[in-house]
Amino acid sequence: MPEMPAQVQQFIDALVSAPPLEGYLVVGAFLFAIGAWGALIRRNAVVIFMCVELMINGVNLTLVAFADYLPGAGGLGVSYAVLVIAIAAAEIAVGLAIVLAVFRSRRTVNVDEVTSMRG
Amino acid sequence: MTVAFAFLAGMTLVSALGVVLSRSVVHSALFMSGSFLGISGYFVMLNAPALAAFQVLIYVGAVTVVILFGIMFTQKPQVRRYRTIINRQFWPGFLVAAGVGCFLAYVLAAEDWGATEAGNGPREVAAFGRDLLGVSSGAGIFTLLFEVASVLLLVAVVAAIVVSRRKIGQGVDRGVRE
Repeated sequence: MPEMPAQVQQFIDALVSAPPLEGYLVVGAFLFAIGAWGALIRRNAVVIFMCVELMINGVNLTLVAFADYLPGAGGLGVSYAVLVIAIAAAEIAVGLAIVLAVFRSRRTVNVDEVTSMRG
Repeated sequence: MTVAFAFLAGMTLVSALGVVLSRSVVHSALFMSGSFLGISGYFVMLNAPALAAFQVLIYVGAVTVVILFGIMFTQKPQVRRYRTIINRQFWPGFLVAAGVGCFLAYVLAAEDWGATEAGNGPREVAAFGRDLLGVSSGAGIFTLLFEVASVLLLVAVVAAIVVSRRKIGQGVDRGVRE
């Protein structure tokens, strides 16, 4: 096997090494921000639910990254992530039931047209 | 690892932007499942393979199907103009979200986390299960949280049925007018 230049070897080492903790945290933060943007700008209640799910997933990614990288965490972030998934499933079930009930009485799911509780 | 990380980051974030910006609601739902798949790939990279399986089963499978049912019940799947799907806060919302994202990313990247090293996660499913049931040391609170989560799921199922069922006198139920 021919000898590789030092720069090439360094580059290959960087490619196969584990990414730093901050990489996962930044991806989680931007996923949270994109979800927040969607929840702010979309009018359809179902799409708002999807964006909230994206935010929950960003937080889950942060939890699991901490659980894997911090020695003091003891890996418990993964268990918290399971609980978060269970609560998110409950939220989506009740939320979509509410959306169905609103649609049945008003024939729309656009959140800026459901204004009967506006002061 | 870095290649996989970059690929999953692109898949997750581009799919998330697709959820926000696509004009068809069905496309939004499918983009959302793509984003969830990217997250489950991250869980595999982070030594949590059982959680990755949960992610695929619950999010990519169940939540996406439930949301597609919600779309089926409430609207015609058709492509709409941006003016009808997005309210007037497009750019203010973008500014707020970009500010939140950049602030969070800055704080999380600038903070000194001490000695960090990959590989502390519960890679074995047995260790993960002991954590989740609160048997392992330092995880006693999960005994309570696990039971509370089961009660929460039961209450949520009952609540979903109660909220979404047709009331007596409102239309036809199973072909029989009440």
